[in-house]
Amino acid sequence: MANQPSMSRALARRENIAGYLFMLPSLIFFVGFVVIPMVLCVYTSFFDSNMNQNTPDVFIGFANYAELWKDPVFIKALKNTFIIVFVSVPVVCIFSLWVASAIYRMKDSIMSLFRIIFYLPVVTGSVAVTVVWKWIYNNYYGVLNYLLKGMGVIDQNINWLGDQRFALWGIIIILLTTSVGQPIVLYVSALGNVDATLVEAAEVDGASDLQSFWKIRWPLIMPTTLYILVITTINSFQCFALIQLLTSGGPNYATETVMYYIYYTAFKLYRFGYGNAMGVILAIFIGLLSAVQFRLAKET
Amino acid sequence: MKKLLALALAMVMVLGLAACGGTVTSTETPAPAETATTPADTAAPADAAPATASAITLWTYPIGGWGNEETVKALTDAFTAETGIAVTVEYLTYADGDDKVNTALTANQAPDLIMEGPERLVSNWGANGYMVNIADLFDAADKSELNAAALDACFADANTAYEYPLVMTAHCMGINLNAFKEAGADQYINTETHTWTTEQFISAVNALEAKFGGTVGAVYCSGQGGDQGTRALVNNLYGGTFTNAEHTQYTWDDAKNIQALKELYDLKGIAFDPSLVGGDEIALFYNGTLKMAFCWNIAQQLNPNSADTGAEKTANGDDIVFMAFPSEDGNAKLQGGIWGFGIFDNGDQGRIDAAKQFIQFMCDSDHTVDAVRAANFFPARTTVDAWSDNPIMGEYNKLMPMLGDYYQVTTGWAQARTAWWNMLQQVGQSDGSEAAIKAAVDQFCAEANAGT
Amino acid sequence: MNTGVKKITAYKVLSIILLIIFAILFAFPLYWILTGALKTPAAINAASPEWFPHEFTLRNFQVLFTKRSAPLYELPIPFTKLKVVGATVPAAVRWLVNTVFMAVMAMVLTCITAAAAGYALAKKRFRGRYLIFSLIVAAMALPKQVILIPLIREISSLGLYDNIWAVIFPTVGWPFGVFLMKQFSEGIPGEMLEAARIDGASELRTFTSVVVPIIKPGIGALAIFTFINSWNDYFMQLIMLTSNANLTISLGIATMQAENSTDYGLIMAGAALASVPIIIVFLLFQKYFTQGITMGAVKG
Repeated sequence: MANQPSMSRALARRENIAGYLFMLPSLIFFVGFVVIPMVLCVYTSFFDSNMNQNTPDVFIGFANYAELWKDPVFIKALKNTFIIVFVSVPVVCIFSLWVASAIYRMKDSIMSLFRIIFYLPVVTGSVAVTVVWKWIYNNYYGVLNYLLKGMGVIDQNINWLGDQRFALWGIIIILLTTSVGQPIVLYVSALGNVDATLVEAAEVDGASDLQSFWKIRWPLIMPTTLYILVITTINSFQCFALIQLLTSGGPNYATETVMYYIYYTAFKLYRFGYGNAMGVILAIFIGLLSAVQFRLAKET
Repeated sequence: MKKLLALALAMVMVLGLAACGGTVTSTETPAPAETATTPADTAAPADAAPATASAITLWTYPIGGWGNEETVKALTDAFTAETGIAVTVEYLTYADGDDKVNTALTANQAPDLIMEGPERLVSNWGANGYMVNIADLFDAADKSELNAAALDACFADANTAYEYPLVMTAHCMGINLNAFKEAGADQYINTETHTWTTEQFISAVNALEAKFGGTVGAVYCSGQGGDQGTRALVNNLYGGTFTNAEHTQYTWDDAKNIQALKELYDLKGIAFDPSLVGGDEIALFYNGTLKMAFCWNIAQQLNPNSADTGAEKTANGDDIVFMAFPSEDGNAKLQGGIWGFGIFDNGDQGRIDAAKQFIQFMCDSDHTVDAVRAANFFPARTTVDAWSDNPIMGEYNKLMPMLGDYYQVTTGWAQARTAWWNMLQQVGQSDGSEAAIKAAVDQFCAEANAGT
Repeated sequence: MNTGVKKITAYKVLSIILLIIFAILFAFPLYWILTGALKTPAAINAASPEWFPHEFTLRNFQVLFTKRSAPLYELPIPFTKLKVVGATVPAAVRWLVNTVFMAVMAMVLTCITAAAAGYALAKKRFRGRYLIFSLIVAAMALPKQVILIPLIREISSLGLYDNIWAVIFPTVGWPFGVFLMKQFSEGIPGEMLEAARIDGASELRTFTSVVVPIIKPGIGALAIFTFINSWNDYFMQLIMLTSNANLTISLGIATMQAENSTDYGLIMAGAALASVPIIIVFLLFQKYFTQGITMGAVKG
């Protein structure tokens, strides 16, 4: 593309103008509702800004950022956020790949039945899913405790969301059920697209099932895997409703995530500047993570 | 392409389906039959008169019947009929109400009127500069007629009032009498005076636990909702305090509170439950799971769980007895609840004037009695006779002399509340040793004091 | 050899059993919502859960529909302070109307703006396109909580607070759609664009008659993606909408849950109302859903 015969100047201008015009509608929304707030967020993060109307915002430089690293709740929130992402992303990928490879050679109707079932939690809606899980996990008459007691796994009710040993895992399990639907669909079609003759040829050569998977299918579905990595990462970082509706970050900050802590800092502690500083730090982490993922994508 | 078309069609269908109901009745000028029920909502032209606004908004927390659309509508309709000012009401919950108001304040979109207590109106939104000073609404007669404690709480200083009190009560506990009898724990309570000692409370909890197993009472701490109950419980058990008498410092790190927390932790029948707030606790009490509720008051007694299934009864018909919180000598200091109206400063004098009219209509007129009865609490205005026909209210009056200090107006109250439930969570998740409890209490009490 | 075959079948049987167990677990929350919505309060609170309701009741839906009311729709008449107001209906119905309106609007606007922008980024060599694309990639995974405070202030200064558009605009501004459409537009053959230009077609005409038909499957994928996402985007709804008449169904259930924390029958009725419409749409068009999703990943 780069070595095309030098474009005439008029053509270049036309390309420029057309490019900008096509970008314009999208840019209005993107700049207006993402970029500008982000800039304001960075700006406010240098101020001691709160809800009190009687005290003006005071410029305090990096004081908010300095305080962040001494705030044990923020550190815990950061840790939890990354636990959620680093647990759920690989588990989603592996689980959905397993389901997909188990069903993609089944009869069409059975396969799509499974596909629908695993996709159901996605379309059910995050709030509806959250409230039903709240009931399932309920300490006093939740069905989970009843079931586990009936099977003899536990002998006393466990307060799943009220015990710091279990709460975060309870949240992650719900997140997983709402995350695997799309990856399964993607993997089923990616595996279906793998040229069957390649696999057969490998098997004739005496490759085992596992070998033919790693040597042939895995490289071919790599782009799908990367795409799944990206969307699952985005998805895991958006996990807010679960926290807000189920635990409010508790017990004892066991399920506090940065996303929820920002909300909490703003509307329970009234510290806007501090909350914004948290947002900036989170944005930087996510930016780094995205950069790594895209580097990976480029290399393959 | 066809598939895409089909998809688009599907979306249109969904839209069409949803709109279907609308097309039937979507006349440009709605038929009177439809509008009769909601005159306030239909084609309301704003700013008809420059002096007083013709429409205002009220956000109310579920204060007794003030959380019920039908009840409130009757009251606001009466107001609209008399003044011509339409009132749009939004109903908040204790679980998400504060966040909603704070979001709206951040967006400069606060309602005109808000109904809650001085702990929010005066010490939080008032102190943060969002409320209108309504001291001019109190004349000498009002000041003599209104309950002194309520009046005092509504004033930030001598010349600044951010709230006009409507109703008040003492918060208490509720117990399931049938369960107590079954467990033989009714011997520990005095249903005549509605009081008990710490020792009796402990015996009762143990008896109930022995009989029913599991949790019989929950120190709920998922959030701040209903925390007046947990505060009163902890403070009363061994005579601890929450703030100093001058309301300048939080004192819940005293040894008596730590002792109380340790006692509660050690009681098998009591659980620190970070999955519940006060509202959940009441619901669990109402359906019989818990045998006692720490988040109780007269409105609950009159209409448990707002379920309209009869006064003083749980869902399965068990009797509910209200009790003062247990204390060493049986003389509890109860937490007061005060509720009334405040005005958010939206910079529009017309709307502020209309809101003031509303306050006078509800709190200082012949209609006050209806407004009070809707709330299911006692009138703040001593001259209002709202409940002389109600024996339950009469009985509940026995608790009113036990009203303790209304300390909810201490500076940094909102942050202190947050610190309180976080402290309870940490205590509940700790190993229960005195050192661990003390560490949690010290840490969060210091956090609360940082805000003063 | 023989044992090898046996191993494979054993593995297959095991995996099918596991698959069925997981399918049951995934379908269970929805089953629990639907049956819970039809259970009597006694059954809901029963110490041992009823796996299938012994007695069906519509009580929960009755409560749901009588609890709050709102006008079916409100249309402000431009340049006046008057509004056309629909008949008073149960608030839950209004919430559904709001949600559908929101999701459809977000979908349409996102598709239009993202298709144009994606095409420009892929095929137009205008200055600054690398910068814009990097910005888009960086912002893609950003959780909305990061810009919470500035966004609320901005929306309010635009006079959009507590208005359904306050949720729609930031959704449209989210740049994932642009990224997706760029990946799609890369596949447009340059010769076709060249041919259109030689024929003297205007830029807009080239876009509508050459580009759009080629990337149509991608637009479909994006439409589905946006529709589901905006339906489920509880956070934006939570911070932007306050009055009863402006809530979405997700927010409505969340509020109901806050109000009647343990009336799970009622909450499940709300959850059923929120999820059943979208599930029906999904089941009717699940073929297109799955195709669309797959399309989205054609280019990783």
